[in-house]
Amino acid sequence: MDDSTLQLYTILFVAITILLTYAARVFSARRTRRMSQGRVPGWARLSAWAGEALEAGRPLHLSFGSAGIDADSAPVAAAEAELFYHVIKAAGAGDVAPVISTSSAATIPLCQDTIRRAWDGDERRSRAQWFPGGPRSMAFAAGLTASMQVEDPAAHILAGSFGPELALILDSAERQGQGSFAVSDQLEGGAIAYAMADEVLIGEQLFSAAAWLSPDSTARADAAVQDVWRGLLITLMAILVIINLAGQMQIARGWLILGGALALALAGVVFVRRR
Amino acid sequence: MSRTQRLGIAFSAFIAFAVGLITMLSLLLGDQPELYAEFAGAPLFARLMTLPAAVMARLVAITSAVTIVIGISNLLYVHMGRVVRGAYFSIVMIASFALTIWWYWSKNGDTSLLAAVQVPIESALAALLFLSMVQGGARVLGKRADIWGLLFVAVMVVVLLGSLPIESLAPVRVWSDWLMEIPVSAGARAILLGIALGTVVTGVRVLLGQDRSYRG
Repeated sequence: MDDSTLQLYTILFVAITILLTYAARVFSARRTRRMSQGRVPGWARLSAWAGEALEAGRPLHLSFGSAGIDADSAPVAAAEAELFYHVIKAAGAGDVAPVISTSSAATIPLCQDTIRRAWDGDERRSRAQWFPGGPRSMAFAAGLTASMQVEDPAAHILAGSFGPELALILDSAERQGQGSFAVSDQLEGGAIAYAMADEVLIGEQLFSAAAWLSPDSTARADAAVQDVWRGLLITLMAILVIINLAGQMQIARGWLILGGALALALAGVVFVRRR
Repeated sequence: MSRTQRLGIAFSAFIAFAVGLITMLSLLLGDQPELYAEFAGAPLFARLMTLPAAVMARLVAITSAVTIVIGISNLLYVHMGRVVRGAYFSIVMIASFALTIWWYWSKNGDTSLLAAVQVPIESALAALLFLSMVQGGARVLGKRADIWGLLFVAVMVVVLLGSLPIESLAPVRVWSDWLMEIPVSAGARAILLGIALGTVVTGVRVLLGQDRSYRG
C-alpha cells in the first residue's frame, strides 16, 4: 500500500470516527437507561477507599505516571484526567485534598486543572506533584514511594502510562496496607498491575473507565464508538481467519460462509446478552 | 454560568478544533507533491501544506521546555511546604538540588555529580524491582484465586524455567517459545489494538473540543 492510499484510509477512518461519535451522542442522549456504576471493575473497592479516606482524614493518591500531554500518550492523559475528575467528585469533600502525581512536567497543569474542577476545598496548589523521570523511570518510583510515606494516602489510583517501575509503587502500597487500583497503556505495566494491584483494568478499559463513572451521555457515546470499531475489527479478523482456513482445508466456500456467518451471529448474540 | 464564560468555552473549543484539524490535515497531506501533480506549482504547495504541522511541532517543543521550569518550581514548592510542616527529609532534597546546581555552574557544566549519584541508585532500584516483581508474582494466587490467576502463574513459571540455560529443561523451552510466540504475542497485539482504538476515539473527542478542559 503506497503512502497516498494509506493517508486516504487514515482520513476516512478519522472522518468515520467523528461521524460515529456524533451519531452515538444523538442516540445516547435519547436513551433513558443509564449505565450502572457497579459495572466498573473494582468500583465498590474504590468507594470503600474513598469512604475510609474521608473518615480517617487521609488523601487519595492518583497518578498519571509518565503520560504527558506533549507526547504520544496525550490521549491517555486526557482519558485519565476525566477518570480522576469523577473519582475525586465521587470521593466527596473530606478534610484533605487528593494528591495527583506525574513524571511528565507538561502534565502538571492538567493535574492542577483536574483538582481545581473536582475539589471544592482549599489547599490545592501543593497537591499536584511532579517527580522528574520520564518513561520507565526508577527515579519516579523512588520519589513517589518516599513522598507517599509523608502523605499517607488511603489508596492509590494509578491510571496512565507505567512501565516495570509500577512494581515498586505497588509493593510499597502493599507493605503499608494501602489499597491500589492500577491500569497502564504499556504491556509491562499492565502485566504488573494484574499481578500486584488490588483492582485492575486492562487494555482499552483505560479509555472507557470514565464513561462508566460519568452520568454524562457523551462519555458513554464515546465508549460506544470504541465498541463499534472493536466489533468491526473482530468481525473482519474472524472473516479473514475463516477464509484462510477454507483455503487450507479446501472446504466448499458456500458451506464455509454459512458456517462462519452462523458462528459470528451466535458470538454476537452471546456478546450482546452478556453486556 | 455567565454568558462571558460560555463564550470563552466556545472560543477555546473552536481554537482547539481549528488547530487540531489543520495540524492533522497538514501531517496527512503535507510534503506529498504527487497528490497535487495535476496542479502547477505542486512542490511549493506541498511544502506550504507542511508548514502548520512544522510550526505546531516547534511550539510544542518550546512549551515542553518551559514546562520543565514549571516542574522544578512545583518540586521546590511542594518540598518547601513539607519542610514547614516538619517533614525534614525534604531538606535533603532541597540541599541536593542546590548542590547540583552549584556544582554545574562552578565546574563549567560538569554533570559528574548527577551521574555519580543517580546511575548507581537507579541500578540498585532496578535490582530491587526484580525482587518486588518476584514477590508480586508469588502473591498473585492470594489476590486472584481463580482459574485466570492460576493460568497466569503457570505461564510465568513455564517462561521462567524456559529461559534457564539448563540442558535438561529443553522440552520446557519448546513450550515457553510457543507461549511467547503464539498466545502471548496474540494477547499483546489484541491489547495494543484496543489501546489504539481508544486513542483514536479520545483524540477525536479532544479534536471536537468536547474534553472537560475546554468546558470551563
